[in-house]
Amino acid sequence: MAQFTEERLAKVKEIIARYPDGKQKSALLPVLHLAQEQFGWLSSETMDYVAGLLQIEPIEVYEVATFYSMYNLKPVGKYMFEVCQTGPCMVRGSEDIIEYIKQKLGIKVGETTADGLFTLKTVECLGACGYAPMMQLGKHYREHLTKEKVDAIIEECRRNAAANN
Amino acid sequence: MFIHIDNKTYTVKAGKNLLEACLTLDLDLPYFCWHPAMGSVGACRQCAVKVYKDENDMKGRLVMSCMETVTEGLRLSIEDKTAKAFREQVIEWLMTNHPHDCPVCDEGGACHLQDMTVMTGHDYRRYNYKKRTYTNQYLGPLINHEMNRCIQCYRCVRYYRDYAGGDDLNVFAAHNHVYFGREKDGVLQSPFSGNLSEVCPTGVFTDKTLKEHYTRKWDLTMAPSVCNHCSVGCNTIAAERYGQLRCMLNRYNGDVNGYFLCDRGRFGYEFVNSENRIKQALIRSRTNEAATESEIMEHVQSLISMSKVVGIGSPRASLESNFALMQLVGKENFYQGISEDEAHLNRLVVEMLRSGCVHSVSLKEIEQADAVLIIGEDIWNTAPMMALAVRQAVVKTAASQASQEIKIPVWLDSAIKELAQEEKGFLATLTIATSPIDDIATHSWHAAPDDLARLGFAIASYLQPGKIVNTDFSEALLDKAKKIGDALKKAKNPVVITGTSCYNDNVIKAAFDVAVALNTGERKTSFSCVMTECNSMGLAMMGSPSFSVANENIKTNGHATAVILENDVYKHIPSANADEFFNSCDHVIVLDALHNATTEKAQVLLPAATFADGDGTLVNNEGRAQRFFQVIPNTTSQVQESWRWLKKLQTLKLHTLNGHALHPDDLLREMETALPQFEGITNVSPKHDFTIHGEKIPREPHRYSGRTAILANKNVSEPKPFNDGDSPLSFTMEGYKGTPPSGVVPFFWSPGWNSVQSVNKYQEETNGALRGGNPGLQLFKNKSDARDLFFNDVPESFVVAKDRWLLLPKYDALGSGELSSYTAALKTLSPQPFASMSTGSLQALNAKDGDMLQIVDAGIMYGSLPVKADENVCDGVVLVTAGLRESMGMSWGTRVQIKK
Amino acid sequence: MQSLTNRVKPVDRKPMTFLEKIYLWEIAKGMMITIKHFFKRKPTIKYPEQKREFSSVFRGLHILNRDEQGRERCTACGLCAVACPAEAITMEAAERKTGEEHLYREEKYAARYEINMLRCIFCGLCEEACPKDAIYLSQTFTPSNLTRAQFIYKKDDLLIPDPNKDPEQYAKALGDRKRPQ
Repeated sequence: MAQFTEERLAKVKEIIARYPDGKQKSALLPVLHLAQEQFGWLSSETMDYVAGLLQIEPIEVYEVATFYSMYNLKPVGKYMFEVCQTGPCMVRGSEDIIEYIKQKLGIKVGETTADGLFTLKTVECLGACGYAPMMQLGKHYREHLTKEKVDAIIEECRRNAAANN
Repeated sequence: MFIHIDNKTYTVKAGKNLLEACLTLDLDLPYFCWHPAMGSVGACRQCAVKVYKDENDMKGRLVMSCMETVTEGLRLSIEDKTAKAFREQVIEWLMTNHPHDCPVCDEGGACHLQDMTVMTGHDYRRYNYKKRTYTNQYLGPLINHEMNRCIQCYRCVRYYRDYAGGDDLNVFAAHNHVYFGREKDGVLQSPFSGNLSEVCPTGVFTDKTLKEHYTRKWDLTMAPSVCNHCSVGCNTIAAERYGQLRCMLNRYNGDVNGYFLCDRGRFGYEFVNSENRIKQALIRSRTNEAATESEIMEHVQSLISMSKVVGIGSPRASLESNFALMQLVGKENFYQGISEDEAHLNRLVVEMLRSGCVHSVSLKEIEQADAVLIIGEDIWNTAPMMALAVRQAVVKTAASQASQEIKIPVWLDSAIKELAQEEKGFLATLTIATSPIDDIATHSWHAAPDDLARLGFAIASYLQPGKIVNTDFSEALLDKAKKIGDALKKAKNPVVITGTSCYNDNVIKAAFDVAVALNTGERKTSFSCVMTECNSMGLAMMGSPSFSVANENIKTNGHATAVILENDVYKHIPSANADEFFNSCDHVIVLDALHNATTEKAQVLLPAATFADGDGTLVNNEGRAQRFFQVIPNTTSQVQESWRWLKKLQTLKLHTLNGHALHPDDLLREMETALPQFEGITNVSPKHDFTIHGEKIPREPHRYSGRTAILANKNVSEPKPFNDGDSPLSFTMEGYKGTPPSGVVPFFWSPGWNSVQSVNKYQEETNGALRGGNPGLQLFKNKSDARDLFFNDVPESFVVAKDRWLLLPKYDALGSGELSSYTAALKTLSPQPFASMSTGSLQALNAKDGDMLQIVDAGIMYGSLPVKADENVCDGVVLVTAGLRESMGMSWGTRVQIKK
Repeated sequence: MQSLTNRVKPVDRKPMTFLEKIYLWEIAKGMMITIKHFFKRKPTIKYPEQKREFSSVFRGLHILNRDEQGRERCTACGLCAVACPAEAITMEAAERKTGEEHLYREEKYAARYEINMLRCIFCGLCEEACPKDAIYLSQTFTPSNLTRAQFIYKKDDLLIPDPNKDPEQYAKALGDRKRPQ
C-alpha cells in the first residue's frame, strides 16, 4: 500500500493550501511529482492514493498522469538517461549516442536494464542546444556527449550504486 | 442575411456558424468534431473553407467553418483548391493510424469517417509506417470498444461527460497515443452510454447487442417507431432482417428526443425476439391447445356472446387496440387495466392538461427552460431522456447567460464552457430519495410525498400569496419555499415537472399549483407529469374506470367473460386482488405478446403484435400522439395487432360481413367520432393509401441485398413481397426515393451520407425541426381563455407511524420496464429486487442492512426482500424496486406492515 | 415492281425434268457435304469422359476460400451481397469466440452463407467486391440437379477443402483461373 512519509504529507497539505477551498484538484501536478520522488514511478495504486488525498476520482488522476511524459507509468531504473533527440542534438550525433547506449546496456528505448539500474528514454529539446549532444541524468545535464563520456557516466553510476548499497 | 458561397448568393440565418449554414443549404462539407447538439470546438480541422475579405480578394484565408459566424455579405469558397487540398490532407493524416478494417467493422456502411473520406477524395495511403495499436476495454454488455479505429475527434468524451454528465469515460495520454476509455475495464455507468455508438463518427464505440445478430445498415428493413419503455415516447427506428428485430436507432424528432436515446430505449428491443413470445393462438381446455384462426374466432365468439363481457385495457397497448376493445365490449364495460390509485392520478393529470391553463411541455422545451422544479419524481430512473433534457436546461442556461455577457455565439462550445465554468441554471429536485440528477441541482430535498406536496403548495402560496387557504407552513418550509420561489420568479421559461410514481395526488396538485402561480405576465410556465407506461396518457384520456372498479362489478354481478388486452394485471395490481378477479370470471381471454402471469390464467390466448410487428398510435405524457409502424413482415405466424383481432371479433359479433380490409385509419376515424377528446388523431400520420407520384415509401434502402436469396432456403419460388395495407410504407426497396413526410421517415440516408449524420439533410436547419414539421400531434391545446384550475388540498405533514410504513416504488433506469427487461444485456445490469429504508426505520424494525424483510398489506403477503439502508430515504417510508422483471404489482402509496 | 437491290434473282419456275424429279443428283450433292464432314475436326467432345478446356477467365461455380492455415477468409462484410446484381447472395454474420481463431481468419465470420444459383448470372462482381479474397469463381460450372431447392448453395457446398488436410482437393477446387486484379 502506497503511503507518503510524514514529511511529504505535510508538504502535500502545504501545496493544497495554496489553492482556494474546494479546488484541491489544482494540487495534482506537484503532488504527483512528490509521489514520483518517493516511489520512483506512478503505479495505479499510487495514483489511487493521490486521488484519495485530493478527494477526486481516480480517473481524474489517470487522465493527467498519462498526459505528461515526465510521469513514469512504468517502473524505471535508478538512473534514467533522457537523451535529447531534437534537431540540434541530432545534427551533432545524438542518434549515434542513443545507438551506443542501446548497445552498451543491451536495452531498447523505453526499457530498463535487468539489474534495474538504467532506463533509456528519448526526449525532445531540453534547451541546451549549445552543448549538443546532451542528456539529462536525474537533475543534471550531461553535455557534449561522446562515446567515451557515456562510458564514464555509466561507470560512475555503477560506482555510485555500489557505494550506496 | 446574404452570404456568397462559391460565387452564388444564399440567404442564411444569422447567428449560425459557416458549417451549419452550408449544411442547412444542402452543401456538402466534411466535419468530425462538430455535432449539432454539442457545438463546435474546432479540433479536427476537417471543415476548412476559404474566406475572402471582399470581391477583390483573390487570395483569401483558410478558416475552420465551424468556428466562424456568418456575417452579412460574407464570401467563402468550399470548392477552392487550397481548401480542398487542406481537407484532403487532414483526412489523410487522420487515417494514418486507422486500421482500414471496414469489412470487419460494425460501423461499415453507416460510417461518418467512410463518408468523409470519400467526400474529400482521399484514396491512396502514402504513410507506410507502422500503425499504433491499443488494447481495448470491456465497457459492459451494451457498448463495444475498439480503440484502434479512433481518429481523436473527442466527440465521445464531450458527449459522455459534458452532455450526459457521465464521469467514468475519459481521455488519457497525449500526442499520437491519445486513449478514450475508462480507468479500467468495467461497465459504463451512464444510462445514456448507447448514444456513443451514434456519436462516434467511426467504429470505436458500437452497439454490442447488434453484434450478436449483426446486419449492415443497408441490409436492414427499417420503419419509424416509437419507444415503448417509458412515457416520454422517444422516436426510434426499428430495424429488421430475417424476421428478427436487429437493432433500434435514434429517429430524430426536434420536439422530443433530438439526437439521443436512453439505453433502456435503445437496447430494450430484444423482447420482440424473445423465446417467451406468444406465436400461436391457444384454447387451453382442449387436448390440442393450438388453434387455427377460424377455430379461435368461433370459440371466442361463442364465449363473448354467452355472458356479459368485460374489457380490460392496457397502458402499454396502442390507442387503436384499446379503442377496438372498447368497441367490442361496449363503453360501459371497458376498464383501464391499472389500479384505482394510479387511474385516479392519471385522470387528474388529464384534467390539468386539458384545462389548457399551463403549457404541456415537450422535451425540446425542457432543454430550453431557464429554471426547472422537479417535485416527487425520480425522472432519472422513470423517464431518463427527460433527465437528460433537464441537464441540458441547467447547463445551457449558464451557457446562454455567459454568451450574452460577452457576445460570443452559444455554439462556441469550449469558449462557453471556459466562461461558464461551474455556473449552472436553476434546478430544484424535491424527491423521495436521491437521484443522480441531484448532482447538478441547486436545491435538493428528500422527504415523504405529503411533505413534498406541502413544500410545493408553500412555493405556490409564496408566488401568489392568498391563493392557498390553509397556510400553516413551518418556518423552515417557508424559508425553502422562498428560496425556490425567488429563483423561479427570475426565470422567463420555467418548467415544473412531477410524476405519478409517488402515488400521491397532492404532489401533482402542488406541482400544478406552482406552475399556475408562476404562469403570470411575461413568464411562460410549462408543466409536465411523468407517467408509468408508454400509452398511460392515451388510456387515461379515454376516461374509463379502473381495474378495481371492474373487480368490484364482477364480484357483485358475477358471470362475466374478461377480455384482457396486452396487460399483465399482476404487474399493476397486488396478486391477491388479481387472483380474486380471475376467480370470479367465467372465462378469460387474453391478448398479449409475451407469456406472463396473466396469460397463465387465460383460457383463450391470442398472439398479439409488439410495436415491431404491428401498427398503432401512442400518446406520450406530453399528450403527443405518435404513430409507430410495423417493421417485421408477418407471413406465417398468427401474430397480429390486438386491434385487428378485436375488430375481427367485432365484425363476427355484429354479423357484418368482413368484406373490406381494415385500416388503423378507419379505426381512428371511428375513435375520433366516439371520443371527441381525440380530435385530429387521424392526422397523426399520412393515411394508408398515401403515395408520392403513385409510389409508396420503401422500408428498405436501395442497396438492400439478397432479395432473391433470403427466403430461398425455405421456398425457392420467391414469394410476393409482404403487402402492408395499413401504412404508406412498403416492404420493398422500390418506391419513392426522395424525402418522405417527416412522420414516415423509415431511415435517414442521403447520397454520400450513409451514417446517422445524414439527418442534417432531413432538417429545415441543423438542430431544427424535420422538413415539414416534427412528427406527432399535440392533443392538448393551450387555451388563452382557460379558467385557472387551482387546487387547495394542502395535506397534513407526514407522520411516521410506529408499525406502518409508506410503500413507494423505486425504479431503475435500465432494469425497470416490463418489456425491456427481456433484453439479456439490460437484465444483467438490472439490480436484484430490494427494499430500502432509512437507518432510523431499520432501527425501529430492529433490522439491519441486508436482512430479509416481508411486506404485508391488509393480509396480503408479498415475497421477502433484502433491505438496504439508505440515508436519504426519510423515516417511515419503504422503497421497493419496481418495474423489474421479478417485480409484481403492489399497493403503492399505502401504509403497509413489515415483518422481519 | 421496281426492285430495291441489284441482286435480285428471278425464280426459275420451269417444270422439272424427270431426272430432276428423282432427286438423285441432289441427294448425291447432299451426301457429299455430309461425307466431307467425316474428315473435318470434330466440334463436339465426349463429355463427361472428356472435358472442354475453359478460357482462362471463365467464371464458374463460387467457392469460399481459406487462407494458408485453413481458416475461412470470409468475414461476412456483406460487400458481395450488395454488389450482386441478381441479389442472389445472403449471409448472416457471427462473432468469432476465443478458441476459434484457427477456424476463422477475422473477428467476424459468416455463420450462414447462401447463394441462389438459379438467380446467379456468374458476372463475378462478388469476386471483385470481396476485400478479403474470400469468394472466388472457380472453373467448374453448376452441376445439374433434380430439384430447384438443391440450387440454393449453402456454406458447406461453397467452402473449399482445407489446404492443409486435403491439398489435392483444394488445388482442384481452386483451379487456375485468372483472377481480376
